[in-house]
Amino acid sequence: MNRRNRGSSSSSSSSRVSSYGNRQFSDNRRTQSGGGATDYFRRRSDVPVKRNNDKDESDNKGEDHTDVSFIVGTCSSMCPERERVTRERLRDLAVFERLYGNPSKSSTDLAVKKFCRTLSAADVQASDVRPLPVLEETLKYLLSLLDSREHPFEVVHDFIFDRTRSIRQDLSIQNLANERVIYLYEEMVKFHVISHKRLQSCSGTSISPMHHLNMEQLAKTLTSLYNIYDANRKSDSTHENEAEFRSLYVLLHLNPSSGVMGEPLSLWFRKLTFALVKSKEICFVRNLLRLYRMGNYKNFLSRIASEATYLQYCISEPHIREMRSVAVQYINSVCYKLQPYSLLRLSQNLMMKELDVESLCHGCGLQTCTDSDGFTVLTTKQSTFRSPEDKFKVYDLIGIERMKR
Amino acid sequence: MAYVSMGEAHRRITEYLNRFCDAVSYQDSSTLCRLLSFSSNSPPLLSLADALNLFQDASSSLIRQSDKFSEYGEILAPLFRSLQSYRVGNLVEAYLAFDKFANAFVQEFRNWESAWALEALHVVCYEIRVLAEKADHKELTCNGKSPEKLKAAGSLLMKVFGLLAAGKGPKRLGALYVTCQLFKTYFKLGTVNLCPSVIRSIETARIFDFEEFPRRDKVTYMYYTGRLEVFNENFLAADTKLSYALQYCNPKREGNIRMILKYLIPVKLSIGVIPKDDELLQNYNLHEYTKIVQALRKGDLRLLRHALQEHEDRFLRSGVYLVLEKLELQVYQRLMKKIYIIQKQSDPARAHQLKLEVIAKALRWLEMDMDLDEVECIMTILIHKNLVKGYLAHKSKVVVLSKQNPFPKLNGKPVGS
Repeated sequence: MNRRNRGSSSSSSSSRVSSYGNRQFSDNRRTQSGGGATDYFRRRSDVPVKRNNDKDESDNKGEDHTDVSFIVGTCSSMCPERERVTRERLRDLAVFERLYGNPSKSSTDLAVKKFCRTLSAADVQASDVRPLPVLEETLKYLLSLLDSREHPFEVVHDFIFDRTRSIRQDLSIQNLANERVIYLYEEMVKFHVISHKRLQSCSGTSISPMHHLNMEQLAKTLTSLYNIYDANRKSDSTHENEAEFRSLYVLLHLNPSSGVMGEPLSLWFRKLTFALVKSKEICFVRNLLRLYRMGNYKNFLSRIASEATYLQYCISEPHIREMRSVAVQYINSVCYKLQPYSLLRLSQNLMMKELDVESLCHGCGLQTCTDSDGFTVLTTKQSTFRSPEDKFKVYDLIGIERMKR
Repeated sequence: MAYVSMGEAHRRITEYLNRFCDAVSYQDSSTLCRLLSFSSNSPPLLSLADALNLFQDASSSLIRQSDKFSEYGEILAPLFRSLQSYRVGNLVEAYLAFDKFANAFVQEFRNWESAWALEALHVVCYEIRVLAEKADHKELTCNGKSPEKLKAAGSLLMKVFGLLAAGKGPKRLGALYVTCQLFKTYFKLGTVNLCPSVIRSIETARIFDFEEFPRRDKVTYMYYTGRLEVFNENFLAADTKLSYALQYCNPKREGNIRMILKYLIPVKLSIGVIPKDDELLQNYNLHEYTKIVQALRKGDLRLLRHALQEHEDRFLRSGVYLVLEKLELQVYQRLMKKIYIIQKQSDPARAHQLKLEVIAKALRWLEMDMDLDEVECIMTILIHKNLVKGYLAHKSKVVVLSKQNPFPKLNGKPVGS
């Protein structure tokens, strides 16, 4: 039985004993997102709140609640002192943490707490856990590294990936789930989404697993974010950015066989509030879903180009790629052999540059040629079509210049 | 609560205790079932509850006093507590005590060699689920707390399932009933992802045939697993399972038939099986599908959109919206066929040429404004997915249909890609 007993909801209680059952600290929350299920303000936690001095024990007869409270972190720097000292000694410092490049010296301005996979209850001390203001500063610092040109993006990504996971861990240990935490999660989702895009233009053998792990954490972070939205919901209200962030889930799961974790969309939609279902962003992605499933490449691409936000675009890149290959495949298979298809026309329909279309055709194993008027065309009914080998090749989407980053 | 004298209360409690212990001694399952079925709200149980509320904790001493009763003290004491709370509407308390009772009962069941009490165990499973749902509902509406008890009930059901599935013979056959209780629990909670592991246990059983399970349980099982296939859009599997459920469902249970049809109809539509008239929909009050079916018959895209919008909320909640939305391509096919038939009547020699301009005009009549590029895109989709046979002469802006069977039927398979 999953005994997820929670402590008091107000963080104004003074000293609390931290005692934990058999909890394993991970950022993987299994609570269900129950959007709109209650009309009352409630925490992310599922079990009713109980304080130590509550005389009313009627809820607990017959059930042994261990009276669990959550740690309130007291670590005032980005990395707990003892961890920094240990890692200095072991020379386990990331490039960003090294003082003047020294592999065994760091500082409080540079060291950031690492993610720790399993934590046993006995090892966690309040001094190891960072309170919310420190976490906010830490995240701000980490995200500022994204602009760093000194190191290749994979290195930057790897560092921020791990350290933000640790931030989520600290948030989870302290069971923080208020409005400020929403903002932190939104920023972390943005990081994963932008990495999702940027990792594609990096090269190297480690990119594919990195990309996959990033998708995994993106899905997990999104789920946690949704739980926090639910916990902070008053009646049927929607948080400021919630509709956009919910829409990202739909885009992640456009293709059911993509292997992304999560439940089928039919189930997921059931749990959205009425307000969310009717929101502009959700309507937009539902339309994209319809067009994608139909194979309507023309409308799918033109809508993304004209209406998607930058985040939505980033997540949609694999599908844009897919729809373009699908378009080439369809046109190759159905068009009249004696009427080769003009690449210029194709490029307009696929929101691509003409040279990119040519490259795409070749990538799909199809040949192009020049017709008597000098235009590049695709002769159809070629039997050599195949899915493009380069799974990460990105061609610009005409029209994305309008997107705000 | 009616007035009860102490003497009368004492009598009622003792009578129940005797009946319980005798039922166990003589392996009288049906009596035991009646004694445990809270949700039936039977007069004997209610009057017992009144008696218990008068006696309060003294009922425990009644149990302890006699050797005959105290043997089952661990089972009876929480059972009484539960019944007391249930009677006064204290549902959370009632659930918690019932949970304790159920655990103790399961423990005892383990010790009984034969499966004589299987039916009673089923009753316990049913009651705990229903009680948990009621308790959660009350907690939700009164205190805004999220469902907790149903999750806990799910754990107990899982325990019972494990116990039965690992057993032999009749015990094993009783596992399917519990599976169905689990399905109902998971569907209600939305934790449908927990179903596959249970399904695996049932479906990898090689010791005997699925057909040996009781019919009622098989129908329920196929209904829920069929619904899971619908969520995952495995239409052929969904068709098989839901059709099975429909075939073997008791025809008098119209409510159940309706539930099965609610999911089977979208599945059938997806594989090209369209009812010839609206009789079925009317008989089972499934009016939400009427316009969808009409749209498919007529090739009316506007009607399809309209129908989806009208019942959007209902379709989203039941999880069939995406399935119905996907019917769009079939509606397009029907529309193309209509254009072809009309052309055949006026100019048979050229009927097999569908001008994109003409298609665009037809779509405009249906309040769908599309430029020729998009019309061309739709036609390439239809041809590639074999809904239309022919080719696209894009320079001439015309689709040339195959002379033979230009609009192939789906024949029981979903639209291919």
